[in-house]
Amino acid sequence: MSIFRLVFWMVLAIPAGLMVNALVSREALAMDLYQPSGEMALRLMLLAMLAGPLSTIFGSNRFLRTWLAVRRNLGVAAFCYGLLHFVFYLIDMQSMAAILDELWLPGIWTGWLAFLLMALAASISTDWAMQKLGRNWKRLQRGVYGAYLLACIHWWLLDRDPGPALVYLAPLLIAWTVRLSVTARRRNTRKEIPA
Amino acid sequence: MILRFKIAAVFLATAAGLGMSQPALADGDVVCGSGPQSGWESERDLRRRVFQEGWELLRIQVEGDCYEVYARNQMGQAIEAFFHPETLEKLVVYRRGREIFRKEGFDG
Repeated sequence: MSIFRLVFWMVLAIPAGLMVNALVSREALAMDLYQPSGEMALRLMLLAMLAGPLSTIFGSNRFLRTWLAVRRNLGVAAFCYGLLHFVFYLIDMQSMAAILDELWLPGIWTGWLAFLLMALAASISTDWAMQKLGRNWKRLQRGVYGAYLLACIHWWLLDRDPGPALVYLAPLLIAWTVRLSVTARRRNTRKEIPA
Repeated sequence: MILRFKIAAVFLATAAGLGMSQPALADGDVVCGSGPQSGWESERDLRRRVFQEGWELLRIQVEGDCYEVYARNQMGQAIEAFFHPETLEKLVVYRRGREIFRKEGFDG
């Protein structure tokens, strides 16, 4: 692992360290850490998903190339925060019976499904899996779009307020919309150039 | 491609519109209709009230003009309840975002 990646992961781990410390020192209950851990997972997923459209929109530059190079790391880090979120849930719920009892609630199963889709994407995030799966790799990774949407719905339902979830959906929707218009314009320009 | 762009634009505008039409209060969708805090019952009395319900209290906080209680009920379900701060009446109870109790006639 390069020094850059090591520092990168250490920086990403700081919020997790603070959350665990708050729990261990009894400054916070496990339920208080749902929102920061879940939001951190969403932030990292958003960063991972924005790299592609932004590179198309602005073209290649050093900053975006670096961003693209760490995209998989961001995705795996997002899963790690999702896992932390899940651990806080286990601690808060205290019993398997209580977990199973509320599994059917829309605010809960949306979170489970988002987590499972993220786990699938994270489990095939190695170079080896990428080579082995070929074209299917990209298909399976696309599950993170569903995970992101489900995670936003999960937050919306539990908070009874769509505001925060929409704040996280808006940047992606804007980036995708602009990318569509940019690629459409480029295609049209190419057609206009006589052969 | 143009059609896809238009669909995406409409989707975006709807999302933006929904986002802007939200009230400023986060999670503040319950309005208890109480007066100034000087007239509120104490948190100690609310603790007693929660104990009478048979709940395990996790947290009490003020949310808007309500007392908001995070607790586990007798069935071990994680719940979020809103109490009128002047009368300590139980107004509405949510379980993971789903309403499971509402006092008759309360529409706040």
